[in-house]
Amino acid sequence: MWGSLDISTSGMIAQRTRLDAIAANLANRDTLVNARGEYDPFRKRIVHFAAGDPNAASPAGRRLGVHVAAIEIDENALRKKHDPDSPFADADGYVDVPDIDGVTEQVNAMAAARAYEANVVAAEAIKSTMAQALRLLA
Amino acid sequence: MIAQLTNAGALPSLEMTMRFAAQRQRIIAHNIANFDTPEFVRQDASVDGFRATLDRAIAQRRKQTGGMHGDLAWRETRELKHTPGRGLVVVPGTPVGGLLAHDRNNRDLERTMQDLAETTAAFRVAADLYRAHRDVIHSAIAERV
Repeated sequence: MWGSLDISTSGMIAQRTRLDAIAANLANRDTLVNARGEYDPFRKRIVHFAAGDPNAASPAGRRLGVHVAAIEIDENALRKKHDPDSPFADADGYVDVPDIDGVTEQVNAMAAARAYEANVVAAEAIKSTMAQALRLLA
Repeated sequence: MIAQLTNAGALPSLEMTMRFAAQRQRIIAHNIANFDTPEFVRQDASVDGFRATLDRAIAQRRKQTGGMHGDLAWRETRELKHTPGRGLVVVPGTPVGGLLAHDRNNRDLERTMQDLAETTAAFRVAADLYRAHRDVIHSAIAERV
């Protein structure tokens, strides 16, 4: 039973990381320059999960659970926008802007939030089981 | 005499039920944590398999000792290993059906949460019965001292 909470915690951490990436995608839908002020349209971040959690404290947690395997930067997620007045426009008046679909990101955010909640419920169930087991000692 | 107190009545089968429920809960938590992991296939341990193995062990014990005391003669299965030091070890091996999503994950939120609720309830009932049984033994000891 000890170590079971690691599994649900890993699920919550993974989903929170995914929500962070979605929030970054939405916040940077119109970002064209990077932190140094250079033209470098924001590329969409995609979080990939894999089973098992190498960072867990217990052996059960390491064997089970989930972890973020990679945060992919989608280099191709750009679309052409006709904006001849932009200082970044090409000869035809087009600018490469981030190709981030707000609806898709919202749906992903909802899925991540629901999955996070499911992990919270699992953690609550494990806590209840632990409390029951500890009461046997009292 | 002491051994007959710790394995009296339903205590061994309640202990097995708690061990099984706690480990199945861990398997379900793993499934929930991997709801969004591509190519992850849900794992489970068969509740029917556990019940059948427990039934056999109880029947065997009844035959040997009359059923009022004695350890369970646990016959191991592929999923339910029993070692003296570690007790019951559940190795999930029951295939779980369901539709594969586009990422080849056969997630089923409702069924998984139902399994979690049932497993938690089974543990709670077994723990309550265990405690009640143990309180009876405590009372019996107190009467005689």
